[in-house]
Amino acid sequence: MKIIGHCYINPRGAFFNGQNVLIATEENYLKNYFSELKIDYSKFYKMDLLSKGAFLGDYLLRNSYKDLLHVENELQFIFANTSSSKETDIRFIESYERKKNPSPSLFVYTLPNILTGELAIKHKWFGENIFYILTKFDSEFFNDQIVMSFLRGNEYCLCGWVEMTGSPEDECFMFLVAKSEVVNENFSNNLNEILNTYRNE
Amino acid sequence: MSELKEKLKTQIIEQLNLEDLTIADIKNDSPLFGDEGLGLDSIDALEFIVLLDSYYGIKIDDPAIAKEIFHSVDSMADFIESKK
Amino acid sequence: MERSLKCYLKYGAIISPLGDRIEEHYSAFLENKSGIKKEGKIGFNSENFFLARIDNLANSRYNTLLNQACEKLIQNYSSSFLQNPKTGVIVSTTKANLAAITSDTFESTRRIIDEIIHPFHEPIIISNACISGVLAVNTAADYIRLNKFDQVIIIGIDVLSDFIIYGFQSLFALSNEACRPFDKERNGISLGEACGILVMMNTPDDDCIVEVLGGASSNDANHISGPSRTGEGLFRAIHKSLERSGILKEEIDFISAHGTATTYNDEMEAIAFNRLGLNHIPTNSFKGYFGHTLGAAGIIEIIMCMVSMEKNILFKSIGYTEIGTSERLNVISENQKVEVTTVLKTASGFGGGNAAVLLKCIQ
Repeated sequence: MKIIGHCYINPRGAFFNGQNVLIATEENYLKNYFSELKIDYSKFYKMDLLSKGAFLGDYLLRNSYKDLLHVENELQFIFANTSSSKETDIRFIESYERKKNPSPSLFVYTLPNILTGELAIKHKWFGENIFYILTKFDSEFFNDQIVMSFLRGNEYCLCGWVEMTGSPEDECFMFLVAKSEVVNENFSNNLNEILNTYRNE
Repeated sequence: MSELKEKLKTQIIEQLNLEDLTIADIKNDSPLFGDEGLGLDSIDALEFIVLLDSYYGIKIDDPAIAKEIFHSVDSMADFIESKK
Repeated sequence: MERSLKCYLKYGAIISPLGDRIEEHYSAFLENKSGIKKEGKIGFNSENFFLARIDNLANSRYNTLLNQACEKLIQNYSSSFLQNPKTGVIVSTTKANLAAITSDTFESTRRIIDEIIHPFHEPIIISNACISGVLAVNTAADYIRLNKFDQVIIIGIDVLSDFIIYGFQSLFALSNEACRPFDKERNGISLGEACGILVMMNTPDDDCIVEVLGGASSNDANHISGPSRTGEGLFRAIHKSLERSGILKEEIDFISAHGTATTYNDEMEAIAFNRLGLNHIPTNSFKGYFGHTLGAAGIIEIIMCMVSMEKNILFKSIGYTEIGTSERLNVISENQKVEVTTVLKTASGFGGGNAAVLLKCIQ
């Protein structure tokens, strides 16, 4: 198990492999980063917070994907958070309670795993996907999931902790892991160190 | 007419939850659907049907017609004018 | 993965509009009795729709249902089994307790399970739209094969709410009659609510009915809410499941399809089954009995697959009279007494997800 790239996004900045890539200059930081990165992808504007976060994280990781452009099936998504799609859920409830019109375009984002669909569409990845709800980021848990995924025959795992509800504590931490012969006993410790460094930036 | 188009753009942003966009980002004649335009799809077409009903009292039953009407801000404005 | 470590399933509990015991469900299915009923004034503009609603769930529907199902489970399993450090708990739910949206919709899931089952480990919650249930079974099998757990309690649950009803209504996805999967006249989903519990074991005992051979998931990479027009994800999920199970498609006796009864979902499934050469195999959708129960669907439908295998009977796909997909399928139109050994269960859902699992009867 080898981490071949990682990134982190929060309302203050965006990072790739430990390096600060962007600093937020506007309150709407996701739109801010999207504009700064000059990405041409009009569907971005329609996405919910979770999908926007994961989409930008995926873009920050673009240089780590170089060796897996041929991969269609053997890349699995393993994502998790605590609050599911809470922000969109509340907006959908408002659409029928306050605006008196249940909004279909909000409803389709009231599931956390929609973000994996967005990434699959963008890259034409047909691999396995799963979304977990955890009380907090758990490196051991991700470690187990990745081990299982590789034993099932996958070659890469794109993992993400996307806890975003519109709060200053929001964060999107993503890491790409490749299968390797070398057993990495310290995998979960490494993962915790990486995330803690980002959190303390 | 241009007043109607500006109003439509505000309503589109509101109805489709596109708060990241401003009315300057939506051109009168560019396609709203597909990757060429705003990247909207069939789910958003449902929002347009709601929009026309709630703001203009126009009901659309045939989704096939909807596709032509919702091509661009121009075509939507033409349609609304024709119903006045 | 330790291929020598096998996984077996037995019944845990089931609560649906058709009853709260397996036997009750078997009787209802023998009579092709549906849990779906017309419910007045439940749409956003007070329209009537057809729902599979459980009576007497009080105001806190989710918590009450989870509570009742866990109580059923502990009647049949000892505390030493449930609290064993090698016993895991996996929960499949899409929306959990939506009533707690302002705080934490998943808090009551952990609390109720802790209070009634007292498991050693905190439950692992999967929320991956309508494929959550099948993913939960495949994930449980992974935990057993990795030797992390010796047995896993798998709970699938979702309840009806204005949120869910208005949401599917806004997509024009609700049927104006009881849903009719794969039928020519189908026009949408009937929503339902249920809780199902399966118990997975690494060593079979007399109560185990099936072995879980293997499973997989695959994304359509096409659209976040619309099914693929080519059935690509479902095709790949089934193909991978067959490979991992090491069996031939000819061995499949029965397909428990997703079959939501929307125009596009059922069409997509027919295309995928046809591409795999599976369209002659007897197929049904259990949605005509339970409605679409979202996170519970995969679990309660696997429970009914186990009933099919245990009792050697294929159940009629309620609501079906004439094929309504471009590719023909062998949709089961009457209950049939026949030996059922190998079953394919599939699911597809929002986010472009598809999942499949192959089960083999061991009785």
